[in-house]
Order: sequence, then C-alpha cells, then structure tokens
Amino acid sequence: MKKDPENISLEGASWSQDRCTSLSAQDSIFCSEEDNSLYFTYSGKSNVLEVKELNYQVNLASQIPWYEKLTQMQLLLPWNSGPDSHVSIIQNLNLKVHSGQMLAIIGSTAGGKTSLLDVITCRDHGGKIKSGHIMINNKPSTPQLVKKCIAHVRQDDRLLPHLTVRETLLFIARLRLPACFSDSQRQKRVEDVIAELRLRQCANTRVGNEYLRGISGGERRRVSIAVQLLWNPGILILDEPTSGLDSFTSHNLVITLSRLARGNRLVLLSLHQPRSDIFQLFDLVLLMTSGVTIYSGAARDMVQYFTELGYPCPRYSNPADFYVDLTSIDKQTTEKEMESLKRANTLASLFQEKIKDYDDFLWKASEGDSVVTTTSKQSSHSKPEEVINMPYHSSDQLPGVLKQFTVLLSRQVSNDFRDISTLLVHGFEALVMSLLIGFLYYGHEGRLSIRDTSALLYMIGALIPFTVILDVIAKCHSERAMLYLDLENGMYSVTPYFFAKILGELPEHCAFVIIYGVPIYWLTNLFPEAEHFLLNFFSVWLAVYCARAMALWVAALLPTLQLSAFLGNVLFTSFYLSGGFVISLEQLWTVPYWVSKVSFLRWNFQGMMQIQFTDSIYDMPFGNVTIKIPGKLVTKALGLDSEPLYISYLIIGGNIFCFLLLYYLSLRFIKQKSNQDW
Amino acid sequence: MLGRESPALERSGSSGQAGETEAVAQPPNSISVRGVSYSVRVNVGPWWKVPLYHTKWTRQILKDVSFHVEGGQIMGILGNSGSGKTTLLDAISGRLEDKDSFFGEVYVNGQQLKKEQFRDCFSYVPQNDALLSFLTIEESLTYTALLALQKCSNNFIKKKVDAVMAELSLSHIANKIIGSQIYVGISGGERRRVSIAAQLLQDPKVMLLDEPTTGLDCLTANQIVSLLVELAHRDRIVIITIHQPRSELFRLFDKIAIMSFGEMVFCGNPMEMITFFSNCGYSCPEQSNPFDFYVDLTSVDTRSKERELETYSRVQVIISAYRNSEIFRKVLETIERTRFMKELPPIPFKNKDSPGDISKLWFLLRRITRNFSKDKMGIIMRLLQNLLFGLFVAFFLLRLTPDLEKGAVQNRVGLLYQCVSAPPYTGMLNAAALFPPLRAISDQESKDGLYQKWQMLLAYIIHFLPFSILSVVIFSTFMYWTVGLYPDPFRFGVFFAVVLASHVIGELLTLVMLGVVQNPNIVQSAVVLLNSAGVVVGTGLVRTIEEMPMPFQILSFFTFQKYSSEILIVNEFYGLNFTCGRDNSSTTVNVACPISRGIQFIEQNFPGALSRFTMDFLLLYAFLPVLAIIAILSFKIREKIISRQ
Repeated sequence: MKKDPENISLEGASWSQDRCTSLSAQDSIFCSEEDNSLYFTYSGKSNVLEVKELNYQVNLASQIPWYEKLTQMQLLLPWNSGPDSHVSIIQNLNLKVHSGQMLAIIGSTAGGKTSLLDVITCRDHGGKIKSGHIMINNKPSTPQLVKKCIAHVRQDDRLLPHLTVRETLLFIARLRLPACFSDSQRQKRVEDVIAELRLRQCANTRVGNEYLRGISGGERRRVSIAVQLLWNPGILILDEPTSGLDSFTSHNLVITLSRLARGNRLVLLSLHQPRSDIFQLFDLVLLMTSGVTIYSGAARDMVQYFTELGYPCPRYSNPADFYVDLTSIDKQTTEKEMESLKRANTLASLFQEKIKDYDDFLWKASEGDSVVTTTSKQSSHSKPEEVINMPYHSSDQLPGVLKQFTVLLSRQVSNDFRDISTLLVHGFEALVMSLLIGFLYYGHEGRLSIRDTSALLYMIGALIPFTVILDVIAKCHSERAMLYLDLENGMYSVTPYFFAKILGELPEHCAFVIIYGVPIYWLTNLFPEAEHFLLNFFSVWLAVYCARAMALWVAALLPTLQLSAFLGNVLFTSFYLSGGFVISLEQLWTVPYWVSKVSFLRWNFQGMMQIQFTDSIYDMPFGNVTIKIPGKLVTKALGLDSEPLYISYLIIGGNIFCFLLLYYLSLRFIKQKSNQDW
Repeated sequence: MLGRESPALERSGSSGQAGETEAVAQPPNSISVRGVSYSVRVNVGPWWKVPLYHTKWTRQILKDVSFHVEGGQIMGILGNSGSGKTTLLDAISGRLEDKDSFFGEVYVNGQQLKKEQFRDCFSYVPQNDALLSFLTIEESLTYTALLALQKCSNNFIKKKVDAVMAELSLSHIANKIIGSQIYVGISGGERRRVSIAAQLLQDPKVMLLDEPTTGLDCLTANQIVSLLVELAHRDRIVIITIHQPRSELFRLFDKIAIMSFGEMVFCGNPMEMITFFSNCGYSCPEQSNPFDFYVDLTSVDTRSKERELETYSRVQVIISAYRNSEIFRKVLETIERTRFMKELPPIPFKNKDSPGDISKLWFLLRRITRNFSKDKMGIIMRLLQNLLFGLFVAFFLLRLTPDLEKGAVQNRVGLLYQCVSAPPYTGMLNAAALFPPLRAISDQESKDGLYQKWQMLLAYIIHFLPFSILSVVIFSTFMYWTVGLYPDPFRFGVFFAVVLASHVIGELLTLVMLGVVQNPNIVQSAVVLLNSAGVVVGTGLVRTIEEMPMPFQILSFFTFQKYSSEILIVNEFYGLNFTCGRDNSSTTVNVACPISRGIQFIEQNFPGALSRFTMDFLLLYAFLPVLAIIAILSFKIREKIISRQ
C-alpha cells in the first residue's frame, strides 16, 4: 500500500508522514488569518453604498434580443407583449453598506439577487427603475463611477482559452494596475493572487474552453475572481462566487473575501446556498425572495430575529438553508406557490415594520450588541506582514492608451500562437489551395493561354478570401464575450483594442499570403520578372486583407455567428459575381455594376490582369492561322482596362480603410455581447 | 463501531421485502469493489515547451479503493474536485478509457461482469443532460422507452412512462416542451429529473449518478436527492457523487464515502462516520454540517508548501486509521463472503428487449422528425436558403441572352459554376447546424446501449431527404425559369436532379466529418475547403480537364463536381444556338463570335461529354450511397474513439 508521493505533488516534495496534527480540528482545517501573507488593504477614502426604496421592473419581452424573436417569429406579432409582461423584480429595497462590511445577499434562485447587483453596477438591460435611487459615496451611480470604483465578478466570465492562468493574470495586471507599478511589483501581485486563490497547481495550465481541455470549471471560476482581485478595488461585487466550487475552496474564498472586507473594502456578494461555516463568516445578510426583503441585518442575529417571529431554527441545521427554504417560492403546484408567496409577503411586511425606525435599514437584536461588530473587527486586523497600499487616484493612473495597445497586442499574438490546431488548419487550407491551383496550371514549357491565365488570376483572388472570411468570423465570435466584459469593466478602451486587433492579425495574414501566393506564382509560370511578381503579390495581399477587414466588421456588427457568417457570405458572393469574370462587366445591369465599382475582387482581378497582359503579346490559334494579339486587347475585351494600375491598388486600399472604419464604429457603438452557444 | 446494524439498513431491508416478493428468498443485490486503482499518463508541459511536453508523468487517479453496497442502499461519494469521484463511477460502470492501467475487481452479486454486460447492468446518469429541445417531456420519455423496450406493447410503454413520470413527479408538466438556451422550456431541476426518468424506464437495479445536484438551486437539489433516496429504498442500489450536500441529507444516506486525492478516506454509514472521526480526534461541532466538516478535514490545502505538507499528512493518518479499523475489515469480509456464497444470485440486468435494427431506426426517425417539426424557423430556413441564394444570383444575372456579344457563353458558364458550387455549401450549413445536438444525444444513449451511433446518423439522413428535395424543388423552379435556362421540361428535370444530388452530397460530406471531428466550426471550414478544391479540380470550368496535369485528371474522377458540371453543361448547351450582335446570321465567322452553336462549346471544352451523359448521371448518384456508407464508417470510428476516452 506504499504510494509514491510524487504522484500527487507536482512539486515533488517528499512528505513526512509522521507528522500528526494535535491541534483542535476546526483550527487546523482552515489556516488562521495571521499565517497568510496576503493582505491587501484599500487605503482610499472609505466608500458607502446606499440603495433607497428601490423598485425595479423588467419587461420580459424586451429581454429577448431581436434576432431571437426573429427565430421565433415574434417580431411579426408585436401585440403579443401586453402590459403584463412587466414583472416587478425588486420591491422597496433599502440597504446601506460601508467600507469594511461584507454584505451577503442570499435567497433562492430567481429571487432578484442578480438583478440587484446588475442595477447597482448600472448593467441593467431592459429593466426600468420605477422609483428609488442608488448612491455610491452620496453620488448617484453612473456607469463611469461604477467603472472607477467597483469590481464586478460575474457568473459568465470568459477568458482567452490558449493562455495559461499565470499569463492571463499577468496581461490583466499590465492592463489594470496603475502605471506606477513596476514589472516586478506586478508579478508579485500576480503570484500573491495565485496563491490566495489556490491556483498554484494550475498556474501553468492553459485556461481552455469547451473544445480544448484546460483547467477545471472551479479553477476557471477562481481565475475570473483573481482577475478582479488583481486591481484591488474599493468595492467588490460578486455574483454567486462559490457556485461550481468545492466546499473547501468556497470556504477559503469567503474567508478571503471577509478579510478583504476588513481591509477597508466594501464587499457585496450573492449566494443561493451558503454552507453553515460560510454563513458564520458573514457580517451582514440580506435575505430576499421574489424581490422582497425578508431580513437584513447582522448574520448572527438572523436566527434570533426569526425566533422572535416564531420560526426557530432547528438544531443541527444550517440557518441559511432553513430560512432560505422557508421563504422560497415553491413553484411545483399553484396552491403551494400561493401559500409560499403569501408567507413571504407577510414576512416582508413584518420586516418593514420592524426597521422603519432605523436609518441604515438593518435589524438590530437589542441595544446591547448592535452592529459594532464591523468596527471592532476592522481594528482587529492585526499587523499584516505586507500591506499593499493602493494609491487613491488609481483610475487616473491606469496605463495609457499606448501601453494598453502593446499589452493587448502581445496578448493576442501569444494567444493566437498557442492555438496550434487552428494555425495548422489555416496554414493547411492556404497550402492546399495554393498547391492545388499551382499544379492545376503547372507543366507548361511556354505560357498559359489567355483563357487559362484569366481564369487563374481570378481564382487566385477569389478562392482564399472566402475561407479567410469564415475563419475570422468564427474566431471573433469566440472572443466576443470576453471583449464585451473587458470593455464593460473599463479594462481598456475600444481604440487600443481595435489597433491591437488589426495589427495582431498581420503576422498570421502575411504568413498565409506567402504560403498561398508565392507557390502559385512560380508553379504556374507567370511573368517571371521580380517587378511583376511583387506587384502581383502586393495585390493579393491587399485583397486578402480586405476580406479580413470585411470579416472583422461583419463579426462585430451582428450578434450571432450564423447571422455574421450569412452576411459575410452575401457580401462576398456579390463581390464575387460582380468581379468581372463570372459575368462579364459589360453585361451587368445598373445595380451590380455599381457593386462592381467597389468590389475588391474586381479590382484585384483587374490589377493582376493588367500586370500580366499589358506588356505581352499572345499567340492565338484561330483555325489554321495564328494571330498575335497584344495583351492590351485582352484586358480591353474584358473591360478591365478602364483605369491605370495604381487605381486598383488605391481602390482596394480604400476598401480596406472603409471596412476598418466600419469595424471601428461597430466596436464602438454596438454591444459586443455574445449569444452564441455552440 | 456500530457494524452493520444501522437503522438505515434495517429500514431498507424491510422496504425491500415489502416491495419485491421474489426478493424475499434471495440475498439482496450487491456491488463490491475491491482494490481498484487507476492511473493515467499525462504530458507535463504544453506543446510549445518541447522538453517538458515530451516527458510524461503518471497521475494516480484512484488508489486501492474498496467498498461494498447492497440493494436498497444509497451511497454518496463526497470529495473535492479532482479527488477522483467521477473516475470511481466510471470504474464501477466499466467506462474507463484505458484498461491497461486499471487494477482491481468489480463484483456484482459476487460475479465479475463481462465487458458487454456492464452497460446492461448499470444505469449511468451523466452530469450534463442531453435532451432534444423541441420534444415534450412525455414524448421524450416515450421515445426513449420505445427504443429501450421495443418488444413491449404500446399500452405497456404508455403505462411505464406514466408510472415513471409519477415516480419523479413530472406528471403535471408532462406536456411541457423541454427547451434550449434560446427557447425557454423546463427548469434545470426538471431537466435533471427527465434524465433520471429516462434511465428508470429500464428498471435498473443499479443506478450511478454523476453530480446530480450540480447547477441546481438548493431546494431543487434537495428534492432530487430525496427522490434518489426513495428510489434506492425500493430495492435499488444508487451511487451518486455529490458536491456540497446539505446537512439534512446526512442521515438519508446509507453509506457515505469520502475521497481525497484518489484514496478512499472513509466509507461507512453516517453513525459509523461520526464515531470514526471522533475516535481519530476530530469530532464534528454540533452546529455545523458534518458533510462539510469531514470533507474539509480530508482536503489537501495547496496554497503553500507547508500547508500542503501538513494537510496531506493529516489525510494519510486518517486513511491509515480507516484501513486498520473494524469497519474496513468488515467490508473486506463481506466482499469475500459474497464472492464465495453457495448460491450466487443472478446478475440484475436492466429490462432490455430492444427490438431489431429496423424498428430502432424507425423510432429514431420518428423522434427526430417530431423534434424538428416543432422548430418552425428551422424548417423555413432549410426550405428557403437555396432559394435565397437563387434570388441573389438571379439579381445579378437577370436573364440569359443567346447573344454572344452580350456574354451568352460566359454568363451561362458562370451560372452553372454557381449551381455546382453553392448547393453543397447550403447542405453543409444544414448539417452543421442541426446534427451536433443529435450527435451529443447519440453519444450518450449509445453508451447506454440503446442503439448505435450510426443508427442515429442513418435516421437523420432519412429525415433530411424530403426537406432537401423540397428545398431544391423550390430553388430550381425559381432559378430555371427566371433566368431563362434551356426551356424544356426534361432538361429542367435533369437540372433539378443534379442540384439535388450536390445538395445532399454536401450534407453527407459534413456528416462524415462530424463523425470524427468534434468542433462544428472546423468541420465547416474543412467542407468549404473540400468543396472549393473539388470545384477547381473537377468542373473543368476553371480549366479544361484535358489541359490539366495527369494527377489532377485522375483526381478529377473522384470529385462529384466533375460529373455534375458535365451534365449541367451538356444539359444547357446541347442544341443551343447563339446570335452575334445585331447580325443574326450565325454562319459568318467573326472574331468576337468564334462559335455559333452550343455543341461547339461542348466539343471544345468537354469533349465526349455528350456521350457520357448517362454515365455521368449514374456516377453522380453513386456518390450518395458511397458517402452514406463512409459516414456510417466514420461514426463507427467515432464509437471506437469515444470508448477509448
């Protein structure tokens, strides 16, 4: 039964098995606070968060995005959404929290917890605040204010799949920590957070996603919490931080949070099922069910409060569980639902009665031991071994736009580089296409005929962009959710992201155009002079980049992958059909003719035709005689000599510019929320 | 140590007797697991760190795990993430990928199971519920029942489904649609109950559930566990892995096992557990949840080396205490005793009289059709997407002319080129959107042995054929007559048949890829690539086949585009007369109009195509059965890949 201990520990430390703890059980399970070195203290001004008489309604119909309505064909039936679709999510809610306090919002699912956090952080979409207001430090909360001082850990965080945990955090440390931090300080901070959230084991593992094996779900959750802990905010809001974590980790997480709270920070978290040991760690508790407040006050007074109301908590059971169950709405049958709803409403009105004399809306047990706990606890944070002081003007000193740009660029490049399978697939696509076309027209001592040359040139321009468009759209959509959250969190702004994105595409782009363009040119024995080759290559490079820019725009414009792919397809096909090869330019009627004026495929085709044909003379067998045809006649016959060569480049360049501009505008003004789930 | 006289056991014993009369004479069913170990070899580093990537280390996932459960008992396996809970369930149910690094024995009623007996004996409810989103609960269960118990009469199946729905209190929502992320349906707890119900249809005596409560709120999670306890007490063995159980459940479990780093720290009934840990010096505080307390006690804290060392050694001390305890000795004794009992009770197989392959296919087909028939938007999309494309081309082309100077040949060739290359693409879009959810379900249900993956595939293929035909009918009727292709009903028929074949081939090709590639996005790009390559090599519209290098000429015989384009060209150009500008005398030789009749174009670019017309047609249609067979093979390969994972 002897096991090799190295199988367990990555570090390979050998264990001494003779050590037996003689400490009392509870102490030895969780390490006490003092022996942990990490202790972030927020040294800014203390914060107050106040919510007064909040009533919040949601229009259920407006929660469904338009494209989903389209799929259910509800757009055609607007009268479906009557006035009854307005559902009251939060009713008459009051709360006031100071720095140094941790408030836990508990209640069964659909109790309005997430909505409350969304309202506080100004991320309510489709809802309406009927009355009441939310104040942060006595200022009404605005998205700008929220960005500055609140860190919001959400349930659906997304991360780049190919970076390791440590890299993910390092990139965010570079983006999010104030400019005055040195690199070694940033690294130190990252290591501290990794240790704090027990991520050491997986620090060098890829994050992964549904197709790529990476860290486990609980670990991913901890990484997204770590991301927010990194920048050490004054107010920390967490939506169900422990869901999906195992009990040990969630206990440790809540210990961390309560310690953070005692470091002069305001912590607000929602939970649906706190374990008994976690419940004991809370200072303040807000129990909500279906939007009404059942209890709000010190956690340890909750049992007393309900006992006074005639609902004592049975022995050996977790008070949080018991009271959440007591107040939750049982929707199994209508009678049960009515009954539980009635009970909840009674309890809520009782609570309103009891607290109407207090200005901080908290229930207090008796005069003797009221909520001085927080202040006493605050003073008890004993000599942290290391206090990382957060400069107060943190948000003003965030890294500049240029710095953001370089960090984003290197993040994107390293994520792309790691994604070996996609790189290989794309490279393989380019190579297959190039060899296919190249060898198709290979094997000629002399030159290709006019027909073959024009077909070849058109194929060069038209084949690869289509696969590029599909690839780029798919990739943008997989990153969309992360981009949305990062922008919402104010981690960086759109402009540096835009430049990082379009420049980050370049290495891959160049590599693929070289793989694609060079072999074709030499295999098919086109004009061998360097000048012709370079002109031709440049034209292909521009056209493919134009396709990329178009794909970026389409991906940012539309909300789902299917819609984007469809629009990309439509645009590409119209450029393709009006490119001058499939249908002759002269035959196009007015509208397609206009399209052909801006079709980058047409100008690419025209440019390449001119490069190949202008200086050459072709032999054309015609019956028994061979006629020499100057190349110019060919371009003329196809209607491709309307403009000189440089105009083609200019127009493709203009096209690229327009698409990039549109991309920028879409990034800027369209919410990059992702609804794609496969 | 209380031994086996626990109240839970007495209760379960009596209820077992009351429930099943024939069980009175026999000893209860049992599962014994003895000395199970399992390890995998994994790469140390990521691929870009080459030296690390190539060194592998062995990770021990299970270490010498033994336990014994009897009929009427529910066992909960606790432990933190990464402690080997799920792997233990996989080991019991014989679903482990790599048999070489698996040691130890699993006995059911004292007998070791053969490889193919595992799936007939155990019901396994995995963590994620794979359900078809447009069926109602009742339909969903009925189709599963039809697949699992086909020899039974419809009446029996209806009764069975009703009974199971009543048992899991799903009756009041029997007609609710299950739903998906987009389409709102039943809740998470209800979905989980439907998954459990689907397993109960076969009357399994042993049920294994992986994290049945994860992702549910506490009330629902409690309901699910209480339900499972009831199921167990009706003479079943239920083993679940569980994550954050609540204190009320502590007494409900007949056996509780705690796993930590692949080792079983403790396994026994709740009373034994409290006594055992108290004897070790860790008594549970009265106000806290014993589950939480003991799991925390046996966790290894990896935040710092010192903590890791300390906690790990504590776990080791507890493990050795357990191994030396009376409880563990009794478990080993019981295992030995059941193995050498005089009369071994038979292995409790699930009800399984699955019918022939044909009727399975029929039920699958009905299920798929029923599911997709409620997806109105999906149906409209499938029917009209070809037409959309047709509208688009027609918009650019307006109408074909016979005038060579107005591009009569070029425009026709361009149009036919589009008709060859686009239908496979739309077919691909259909399959990539619709098939992956079905594939997920077939992955799961084929593990239960309900049917094989290729049967689902075949049912899907049969299902989409009518849609494809209708969609292509709409497309070609519009396209052919609007644009002004050769006005002849027979030729229209040929055009339709060719477009249909291409469309279906595109869909089949996607299915072939979906069998071996998991990610539908990669499948899409691969099919697009294959299609473009086929168009370039095969059609001869880009370059006449005679002029291609030899390997490409040979290659072109393997592309369906070669045949479809030849047929379409002959179909359109044969017997067509061109004009040249305003001058209608087509005999004059003009530089701009080198040809005057369609047949000349065929002779120049596709010599011999006219005589190959029928042959081309047959070859094109031969692609359909061939691809269908390859798709079936690809799903057989998938079966192999998945069973090894």
